[in-house]
Amino acid sequence: MNMFLTEEQRQRYAEFQEFAAANVAPFAGEWDRAQEIPESAVSQLSRAGYLGASTPSEYGGRGWDVVTFGLLNEALGRSDSAFAGILTVQSMVSAILVKWGTAEQRSRWLPPLAKGQTIAAFALTEPGAGSDIQSIATEFRPNGRNDGLILNGEKKWITSGQRAGVFLVFGKLDQKPLACLVPRESDGFEIEPINDLMGFRAAGLAQLRFHEVPVPAANLVGKPGFALSHVAPVGLQYGRISTACSSLGLLRACFEESTDCAVSRKVGGQRVGDLGMIQSLIAEMGANLEAAGLLCWSACRAEDNHIPETFTKTFIAKYFTSRAAVQAASDAVQIHGASGCHESSPVARFYRGAKISEIIEGTTQVHEVVLGKGFVHDALRRQRSRKRPATP
Amino acid sequence: MITNDPNQVKETVRKFIESSINIDALGDDENLFDSGLINSLFAVQLTTFLERKFGIEIGQDDLDIENLKSVSATAAFVARKSAGQAAATAPAAEEKAYP
Repeated sequence: MNMFLTEEQRQRYAEFQEFAAANVAPFAGEWDRAQEIPESAVSQLSRAGYLGASTPSEYGGRGWDVVTFGLLNEALGRSDSAFAGILTVQSMVSAILVKWGTAEQRSRWLPPLAKGQTIAAFALTEPGAGSDIQSIATEFRPNGRNDGLILNGEKKWITSGQRAGVFLVFGKLDQKPLACLVPRESDGFEIEPINDLMGFRAAGLAQLRFHEVPVPAANLVGKPGFALSHVAPVGLQYGRISTACSSLGLLRACFEESTDCAVSRKVGGQRVGDLGMIQSLIAEMGANLEAAGLLCWSACRAEDNHIPETFTKTFIAKYFTSRAAVQAASDAVQIHGASGCHESSPVARFYRGAKISEIIEGTTQVHEVVLGKGFVHDALRRQRSRKRPATP
Repeated sequence: MITNDPNQVKETVRKFIESSINIDALGDDENLFDSGLINSLFAVQLTTFLERKFGIEIGQDDLDIENLKSVSATAAFVARKSAGQAAATAPAAEEKAYP
């Protein structure tokens, strides 16, 4: 990926790596054990301006291109995927407001989101609706005064839910999908932390319960009927880019830890890196790292160029990179031997965290369905165009 | 691409939609959302395509099923948006292929 970067992108990447090495990597294990990222660490992320990485500068963001946003996610994901998760969700909600928010919503919400004064959460998943987002059961109804809605329902597995000050909540109004911003302090809104996840333990996941929660009409994002077709996909696109690039960072971490181990660990007086079996594992990891880097760059570049292919490219990047990260983390533990099975080794945390990347922002299986259908569809189209008689 | 030729706009829109939803011959007024042919990404792909190809910006006020329900409706929507933005919008560069 590095060979395609501009000089400015290269410099930013170096800055992101320095930030992560100083402020994230040394503490990631501790945060994982505590299942919490301290406010001081989130403040550092905010002060660096990273939570507004892709938000336009007119709203207080850095206005960086998507390739740079991807590099930031990679650098943070290299140290801690849970920490990168804060950026993922903040960017999902911000991207939606940039695209579909009213002028008033953009002015009110984007500056505090970009500066990290408000942390956002993306509340789509429910106990009974994960990948199948059409079956969400959360309901909005008119409040009877023509100036707002009443919200009832439940959301689960919401990243940053424990910390967020505002939630973009998806539900239905008379069967029409709808998205609304719901402040944390709203009456009837309960937040219950979800702890003891396998990985991603410090990402502050929560279960949300809405009981007759009043929502002002001014907080409606998009229009009724468009929340799942137009609003959510813009956020999910940023979520997939972020997760793909964060997984790329995790893959890089596994590769670096494995190669370091291969040259320092000895078995029977021989470096493990001299063993063919270990070289095979490292070869696959290194090749996947290179391929994943190119796929992530291609997806980010397509998003920067605003071409329709960006969605397929992002699906491919997320699908490939998250699976490669899981494989790499498993092999990294294998290369480390017993020490890799202990929490004192970062690869044990990588192993637990990698699997989560195959679940969030669409499972691997959902990606296979979308991509598989798309590739078959393209083949049918080619077949039909071959059969079509040539125009005289 | 910015064009004022309604037929050219309609054909460009038709080609994109036909390739996206895997249909051979799409009628001008055939309702896309009743067809059962569109997938979950179609709406955002179409939005991105229209913005890129015709140099328009689609926002919250444009979220109306009447704007995008068929080839004719989409072409008419593009014509209205283009007329409103033509003076202020620079032409988009040609699409590039990336590895």
